[in-house]
Amino acid sequence: MDKIIDIADLQVTDDPRDTLVTYSLGSCIGVAIWDPKVRVGGMLHYMLPESSLSPEKAKEKPAMFADTGIPALFRATYKLGAGKKNIIVKVAGGSQLLDDNGVFNIGKRNYIMLRKLFWKNGILIEGEDVGGSLSRTVRLDVSNGRFTIKSRGTETEL
Amino acid sequence: MNSLQDIVDRVSAIQPLPDTALKLMEVMGDPTSTLDNIVDTIKYDQAVTSQVLKLCNSSFFGLSRKVTSLNDAMLCLGTIKVLQLVMSIHTNNMLASEQKGYGLEPGVLWKHSVAVALASSLFAQRLSLPNADLAFTAGLLHDIGKVILNEYVAQEFARIIHKVTEDHMAFVEAERHVLGFSHVEVGGMIAEKWKLPDAIVQCIRFHHVPSELNPPESLVDTVYLANTVCLLMGIGLGEDGLSYRADPQVLERRGLGEHDLELIGIQTIIELQRVEQLFDRTAEKKPVAQ
Repeated sequence: MDKIIDIADLQVTDDPRDTLVTYSLGSCIGVAIWDPKVRVGGMLHYMLPESSLSPEKAKEKPAMFADTGIPALFRATYKLGAGKKNIIVKVAGGSQLLDDNGVFNIGKRNYIMLRKLFWKNGILIEGEDVGGSLSRTVRLDVSNGRFTIKSRGTETEL
Repeated sequence: MNSLQDIVDRVSAIQPLPDTALKLMEVMGDPTSTLDNIVDTIKYDQAVTSQVLKLCNSSFFGLSRKVTSLNDAMLCLGTIKVLQLVMSIHTNNMLASEQKGYGLEPGVLWKHSVAVALASSLFAQRLSLPNADLAFTAGLLHDIGKVILNEYVAQEFARIIHKVTEDHMAFVEAERHVLGFSHVEVGGMIAEKWKLPDAIVQCIRFHHVPSELNPPESLVDTVYLANTVCLLMGIGLGEDGLSYRADPQVLERRGLGEHDLELIGIQTIIELQRVEQLFDRTAEKKPVAQ
């Protein structure tokens, strides 16, 4: 069953019949994680890099920000039995406007924050499709960990 | 088919905006208007009145007593909320249909338009603009040209997207290059046909290039910023994605920084989710074809 992850939301599942989907990523980033041993998957659709912008919103909706959403995503999959060592991470999104001066650089800052967090925690990114000016829809098939990105009518597997 | 005359014909055949909406915009644009003026404008339109009351009485607002009149609705929810409801009801049918050329499924253009309307209102408040009421409507209608241009874009999509990906054109420039006109010009024509206030026509025409207006207009900058935030947040994106040019001067001349954009982005998402819940629960969901 398709489970849709809205903006500023995350979901995890251990039901192999589930596919986690997030639509229309702009400068937001979709993070998909999957543990092949226990077949537990999770997906996060965060919109901004830092929770310091609005600590009260971060409390209410941790998935809104990279620095609160990413730890929350991992913790939620651990609860379903996933192990940090086994988890495979794939990311997509972080688009930009045609912006030579980088004034609206939320996409870039979203990506930098993600790299920083993963680096600090020793987590490798297995695959990524980040940047450009595309809108992306991503899917994680929890039965086999297949992660696909649909953009401008074509679907590719990462 | 791709002649300007063809487009002009289609614009003249487009369904008119209801009288209530036009009068309402006039009243909204007049700073001396009173609550009574506004109620007078809406109350003769029974369909709209009943929809407003139905929405107000939905469990969503959680009001403790039944709202039975427009006056009541204005007092319970505030004038601006009621005005926004009326405009959203009026444009729902037209904007909710699928726009295949842009890769927008049913409901997606309406969602984007409402989000830009909400964000425009928030920016207008942030900038203390005197015509904040118009900002909502201008935001709601900024992409109205897509409703007509959609079919033309569908036919020439491969050429348009080639210009975007290979020649690094913005989508709106590629539309103009391939078709001879873009959704902003067509939108401007529709707005003129509807006799909308000049301020709104200008917002529709310049919402991708606000600094081309000399002198710049605060309402146009507002709609530009609102659209930019919604594109970045991915609200109702189509195949054109984020392929639009950034205008670095707008933030500077309005004295705003990235945190302002982000905070308004958050607020927009929260308000949009409320509006979507409201319409899902109470309004007709079925999109109406053009």
